[in-house]
Amino acid sequence: MDIASGLLHGFQVALQPSNIFWCFVGCFLGTIVGILPGLGPAATVAMLLPLTFKMDPTGGIIMLAGIYYGAKYGGSTTSILLNIPGESSSVVTCIDGYAMARKGRAGAALGIAAIASFVAGTVGVVALTLIAPPVANFALSFSSPEYFSLMCLGLALVVLLSGPSLLKGLLALLVGLWLTSIGTDLFTAQARFVFGQATLLGGIDFMVVAIGVFAIAEVLASIEAGEEAKMLPVPRGIRNLLPNWEELKACRFAFVNGSVTGFLIGVLPGAGAAISSFIAYGVEKAFSKHPEKFGQGAPEGVAAPEGANNADSGGALVPLLTLGIPGGGTTAIMLSALVLWGVKPGPLLMQDSPDVFWGLVASMYIGNVVLLILNLPLVPAFAQILRLPVYILFPIILGISIVGAYGASGRMFDIALLVGFGLLGYTMVKLKYPTAPLILGFVLGDAMERALRQSLMMSQGDLTTLVQRPISAIMLGLAVLILLLPLIGRFNQARVRAIAEG
Amino acid sequence: MTRRHLLACAALLLSMTGLDPALAEFKPTRPIEFVVHGGPGSGNDVFARALITIIDQEKLSPVRIQVANKPGGGSATAAAYVASKRGDPHVIACFTNIWMLDPMVQEAATNKLLDMSLIARLVVEPALVTVRADSPVKSLADFINAAKEKPGQLKQSGGSIMSRENVVRQLLMKNTGARWSFISFPSGGERLAAILGGHVDMIIIDPSEAIEQVRAGKLRPLAQVSAKRLEGFPDVPTIKEAGFDIPDVPQMRGIVGPPAMPPDAVAYYEDLFRRVSQTPGWKKFIEDNQLEGGFVNSAETRRFLGGFEGRLRDILKEAGVKIVR
Repeated sequence: MDIASGLLHGFQVALQPSNIFWCFVGCFLGTIVGILPGLGPAATVAMLLPLTFKMDPTGGIIMLAGIYYGAKYGGSTTSILLNIPGESSSVVTCIDGYAMARKGRAGAALGIAAIASFVAGTVGVVALTLIAPPVANFALSFSSPEYFSLMCLGLALVVLLSGPSLLKGLLALLVGLWLTSIGTDLFTAQARFVFGQATLLGGIDFMVVAIGVFAIAEVLASIEAGEEAKMLPVPRGIRNLLPNWEELKACRFAFVNGSVTGFLIGVLPGAGAAISSFIAYGVEKAFSKHPEKFGQGAPEGVAAPEGANNADSGGALVPLLTLGIPGGGTTAIMLSALVLWGVKPGPLLMQDSPDVFWGLVASMYIGNVVLLILNLPLVPAFAQILRLPVYILFPIILGISIVGAYGASGRMFDIALLVGFGLLGYTMVKLKYPTAPLILGFVLGDAMERALRQSLMMSQGDLTTLVQRPISAIMLGLAVLILLLPLIGRFNQARVRAIAEG
Repeated sequence: MTRRHLLACAALLLSMTGLDPALAEFKPTRPIEFVVHGGPGSGNDVFARALITIIDQEKLSPVRIQVANKPGGGSATAAAYVASKRGDPHVIACFTNIWMLDPMVQEAATNKLLDMSLIARLVVEPALVTVRADSPVKSLADFINAAKEKPGQLKQSGGSIMSRENVVRQLLMKNTGARWSFISFPSGGERLAAILGGHVDMIIIDPSEAIEQVRAGKLRPLAQVSAKRLEGFPDVPTIKEAGFDIPDVPQMRGIVGPPAMPPDAVAYYEDLFRRVSQTPGWKKFIEDNQLEGGFVNSAETRRFLGGFEGRLRDILKEAGVKIVR
């Protein structure tokens, strides 16, 4: 079946009333799951799985996939409004999204997030439709050295996230790298930095760290700054609640960047949506004409990561549907769902079950439209939350943060950790340490360490394996370049000053 | 009737009404907590929920059974929780090999599986030794020979160093003198991508993960890690049949209760899961997931695990894992 007739067949399947209904249900649930921090798509899909046993597999997978990519839409809401990341892939959105909200552009930020999600989500599905098999082969060509170099490239972006002091940024990064090494080491089964605590053997949950250093720290710092007197500005009128033309124009490149970066990283089974959103943000800032606006509420800083995490969904379905390889938690559950329904996920899925494959792909076009229609009208409504006086808003933020941290694991211990990370984040804010590099180190560190050890085990200790493989060498070269740029810039400034003075 | 007679009659009556512990019957009176050591969607969680679905469908339990997810520290958090419910007849848990392994290697994991009330073993998960379909290696013997020619150069992808795949590798290396390396990957998807991308040479993988790759001509099964051949792979020899006499390393899932669970409660759950294992729904689950069924009762499970623990400890020690207890 060629692509055109396959897609046509897919739309015939996806446009059946029952399948449209399941698509809507999935997208609706996904949006809610995305908005609620702590409740992730993986847990939701797992809990709904028993309910789908009696469903037709096509309708079932359409609904579960809707939850999966729908959650990425909703994830930005609390990031932007409350500085609480709704999903791990929406952590970066906090940086510029929340800054925009503080400037009174919350509605615009939410609107941009929805539009970026729609554009990149659709591009991701188009790419899934047109180039899935060759891209799947590209994903398989990635071995541990390539993953290591990709993570290095991501870490090099710390330079772009660290603000005025590179030294402070690097220190925060190191703390993040240390935190991610806590837990049982996969390679030796040894516990690292657990201090005799059995609860730490599994490591620290990413959401606990992110909510702590972003949301809790922000609340503490705001209370100290005596913000109870003034409220966040929320402009009146529907027009001012949506992104204006300048803001959308500023995001042109971010839409493209988010789509491409998100999709390409999404197809790699060893990298998640959180990584793709960080890298898209870094790329956006690196190529920006005014990088100094990032962190101060640049609309591109919302569009790039929100686009990336949605294009990532399309990407992640490539290895799942063409090779039978799940890239992450949610896709792994979707794979076992297919098995339970009697569909055989694997390299032959496309030819054995064209209804499932093409029906799902076509439903994602519909789902993205559904999500845009669902989410855009919510924007003005959600923006009203910021009208609440701070003495109501801050307890709400704290409450959602605690529920979010507890909901991720169901352990009281994580709430204690949350408090600890909140205090850490507050201290960092007071001492003017940037918090984003800590999160970046936490997200990438684990995967980077593993990839390095795997590479060295494969090459029997030969470090040159990292530069002998072309893709790996190129990415390492880029990482070095990014790290050296500020030095060159500083040298250049000194030279210019010397010439001016001389 | 003398007083002595009266006493004797009373004693008889008492024993008939079930106060004698040997005859007493436990019946759950409140919802049962079913502890699993993974989060929602993890292998154990799916397994436990499938069991509950069958119990509900067949109306085998008078009370509700709820999954309680206790993730963290492999099995350590869940085991600690179960141990804290000492004697409670309304708490059961799903155990796997990791419940035995974690206390062996983790100082912080203090609750041993054998100290708890073992109820039953429900399934054994077989595995397949596979290579890429375009590999010149056609049999397990070929692979061993290739590894001998290039000591330490061939690679196997797998999970943790404590995983069954690594234990089987250790046993095969010890049996044959061949050497190859074991590369750990955290997720099944990455392990599979490493072999399909040609970055490693061999993988020991669940049949349910392998079956489609074999059918599509991407992977070639060399041998089965199981006591007898699986229905789905009648032409693939077991490791023993392939000529390598290594001890059996079953990957198990079963049911365990807190330490000092009353014997009548143990008997109740043993019977409950025995009945589950006879339902058509269960048989279908076993078939769909390419598992080996075979209910094993409480006493037999304890006897087997008692011997298995020592064997595993020795194998891991040889593999270079630091054993703490």
